[in-house]
Amino acid sequence: MQSRTPARLVAALAGVIFAAVSCGALAAPSLEGFWAVKFEQKRTGQALIDELPKSAVLINDTGAGELAAGDFGGLKLKPAAIEQVRNYNYKDELKRENTCSAPSVAFFMQAPFPMEIYQGTELIVFKMEYFDLVRVIFLDGRPHPPKSAPHTRSGHSVGHWEGDTLVVDTTHISPGTFMNNGFNHSDALHLVERFRVSKDGNTLWLTQQYEDPQVFDGLAARYMAWTHRPGEYVYPYDCDPSYGQ
Amino acid sequence: MNNVSRLVRGALLAALLAAGTAAAHHSFAVHFVGDKLIKVSGVVDEFSFHNPHGLLVLKVRKDGAEQVWRIETNSPNILRRRGWDETSIKHGDQVTVEGYPARDGSNSMRVYRVIYPDGHELVGQRPDPGVVSGED
Repeated sequence: MQSRTPARLVAALAGVIFAAVSCGALAAPSLEGFWAVKFEQKRTGQALIDELPKSAVLINDTGAGELAAGDFGGLKLKPAAIEQVRNYNYKDELKRENTCSAPSVAFFMQAPFPMEIYQGTELIVFKMEYFDLVRVIFLDGRPHPPKSAPHTRSGHSVGHWEGDTLVVDTTHISPGTFMNNGFNHSDALHLVERFRVSKDGNTLWLTQQYEDPQVFDGLAARYMAWTHRPGEYVYPYDCDPSYGQ
Repeated sequence: MNNVSRLVRGALLAALLAAGTAAAHHSFAVHFVGDKLIKVSGVVDEFSFHNPHGLLVLKVRKDGAEQVWRIETNSPNILRRRGWDETSIKHGDQVTVEGYPARDGSNSMRVYRVIYPDGHELVGQRPDPGVVSGED
């Protein structure tokens, strides 16, 4: 019996450690710091892309890329969305009142601007340079608010750790541009994100997975990557509408 | 379909379309030709350096007549990290601007670079490899 006790102890400890790692109780990877968009010739975060559902359509317009008018990256739009795009007037974008119209989290994460991340055990805050936007990710186990709660550009985000991956679920996103070519998402958009840092801590990868049955069929996704640059800061954006016409 | 469900569907569609008509911040790909560059030369009339875009108003003499070009830069935040600031371009500067022409044919473009007579230049949005430049 004496010889079996240490083995039982080790097994029990291993179980506790496994459970702790699984639920993120042990030290989670650090996302802290200043992150600049990484313009990649070859995707270094392919492993994260491979974890997306096979049916998800990967939209290739991140960073400096953009889709042209009429190009929806292979997504099948609902008839109402096709009608909405048909009626969209691109010249309205140049009006002064629309110049500082910020996109939602469905589009602002992919913009070619840096961000700062502040990480706690129950909260993670993203300070985006683009349009001075801010995201709050709750890690304390709270649910999303009722459907009637206000929708905002950043939405309501709850997250948890799955091993080395931060999984974030976001709802309550106000309608906004989805592809910056007249195709907008609705307020029913559901966003699931997976963030992961490279082992050397220098690269942050993200996949965003979108479901919005009001405007397109199935699932869509984007992939993004950033480089860690210690000692740098985001600049104020201070959007000035006087650029508009 | 009965009248009530028709009404409900109609209201839902109207709500969706209303939500969808919100204008976004403008897209480069929709408004500018990304695989073509043009050049214009003239005198700077105005330069502002605020997000979302810097704006350069250039007076250009062409065929004996004056044209006014509205030329936008990419975000000043991006350019600030490349050394640009509010004083990089001044009223009265004689410059040549190379950039991406507007799709609607108007006298406007997005800056690739601003070239000064002494040869120094300010670089904005770099072209993809293989993009050919020409005069306007």
